Parts: sequence; structure tokens; C-alpha cells
Amino acid sequence: MLTLIIGGAGSGKSAFAEALVCRLPGERIYLATMERESRESLARIEKHRAQRAGLGFQTVERCLNLADVPIPEGGNVLLEDLSNLLANETFLPEGRGTEAVREGLAALRQRSRHLTVVTNEIFSGGTAYAAETLRFIRELAMMNLELAGEADLAVELVCGIPNVLRGELPCLF
Amino acid sequence: MIFVTGPLYAGKGEYIRKALGLSDDEFRQQAVRDVQDLAEGDLCKLADSLAENRIVIATEIGGGIIPLDREERQHRERAGRLACLLAERADTVIRVCCGLPQLLKGQWPS
Repeated sequence: MLTLIIGGAGSGKSAFAEALVCRLPGERIYLATMERESRESLARIEKHRAQRAGLGFQTVERCLNLADVPIPEGGNVLLEDLSNLLANETFLPEGRGTEAVREGLAALRQRSRHLTVVTNEIFSGGTAYAAETLRFIRELAMMNLELAGEADLAVELVCGIPNVLRGELPCLF
Repeated sequence: MIFVTGPLYAGKGEYIRKALGLSDDEFRQQAVRDVQDLAEGDLCKLADSLAENRIVIATEIGGGIIPLDREERQHRERAGRLACLLAERADTVIRVCCGLPQLLKGQWPS
């Protein structure tokens, strides 16, 4: 099973994704892609960690090469988040580009029972960007499209409220 | 409280003014606009006080590429968080795109 959660900055997508995954039976793995590169990212990591404290997630941190990340078979994986992973693979010196992201997603889908992918809405801020940035935006857009096309459930978060784009929310939401 | 959100220049104010049958003056008295610009400090307190208005309108600003500037980045995040807090407190949440309303919470205003 595949779920895609999309939203802009501060739209409540993480909290919603966590709540969704918490309703799934079985092991819950939180796959964090953020690099510990600055005080700000450490603060964000801390905020997300506090948010999911007590929700029964096992946290795995990996900012590149998701294809060989050690996660148990048949678990429920929450990937947070795709845009960050793509940025790492695109802009970090050790990154291997979009191919590595696609390999990682394929491996995760194969190994997990239910994969939930959080991604960012970065597409409505205009087009006045450098060519390299626009390429990144397009790559992420294409991945979002591919995932949404195959997802059982695709949800956009708007001010904390789920707007279902595809599939049906489990009841209680 | 009715919370109206949506992209820039999407017709949020005009939609809700007409939907409620308000004159321009009534609208000015009952609505607070561009609350995304106010997202500083204690957001819960701010949301509580904004929620005392009949109509609260916010422009969605979290949808572009993540800004390089730290303050800009954090402001977007705070504006998004404020919108979530306002949506929680609202009886009705409406998102307007191209002037067209979509009901996200509660009942259509009459």
C-alpha cells in the first residue's frame, strides 16, 4: 500500500501523516532524511521527534541511498520527506541524483507493508528561479505525479485539514 | 469564526463578502485580512485573539520553493502554523481558488 501526503510549509502534513501511520497495525518506522547540518535543521529534527514521541515509531535516519537502508520487512514506513531526500541526492557532493531516489522508493515499496511518503508543495511560488532550481522543482513534481498515480491514498493538507485527492481516508478522520 | 484561505489574489475577500451579503464597510469592520503577515510570537494567543473576529482571511504563502533566507523560511512556517491554529478554532473553513470556494470545515455561510 502506498500513501502520498502533500502540503506547503506549516500545513500540518507531518502530524497528519503520523496520525495516519499510527492507525496501521504492525511495526512503525520513521525514516528521516534531514541532514544534521545546521542548528535550524537540528531544531526541526527535535520538533518532529517531540511530535511523534509516544507514537511508537522506530526512527531511522538516512539522508542518502535509501535503497539499502536497513528496515525490517513488512513494517509501516513513514518517509519524511521526499523533497528533502531529492535535494540531498541532487545537491550534496555524495548524492547520486534522481536515480538514487527512485531506487530508494522502489526498495522501500518492496520491503514495507505500507509506505507513506510526505512531500512538499513547492510549485506555487512562481517560476523566477535559477535553471538548476527549476530542474529540481520539475524532478520533484514528476516524482509526486508518479507516486500519486500509483498511490492508494493521496491527500493534500490545507491549514491542517486533509483534502483527499485520491482514494478514501480511513474513518475517524 | 469563518476562516478563509487560498492563494494570493484568489478572490478570498470578495467571495466571503458577497456570500455573507456584506457592504464594503460592514466587511471592513468584520474581517481581518492578511493575517499571514501577523505570524509572530505566541501563535496560539494570536489565533485566540484573531478568532474573536467574524471573518479571518489568510493568504497561503507556504507553497513555493523553500526560501534560502532563514527568516523568510521561518516566517512561512509560522504563517502555516497560524493557519492550522485558526482552522482549528474556526466554525467554518473555506479555501478559495480562482474565486471558487471549497468548503473544508463546517457549513456553507448563508
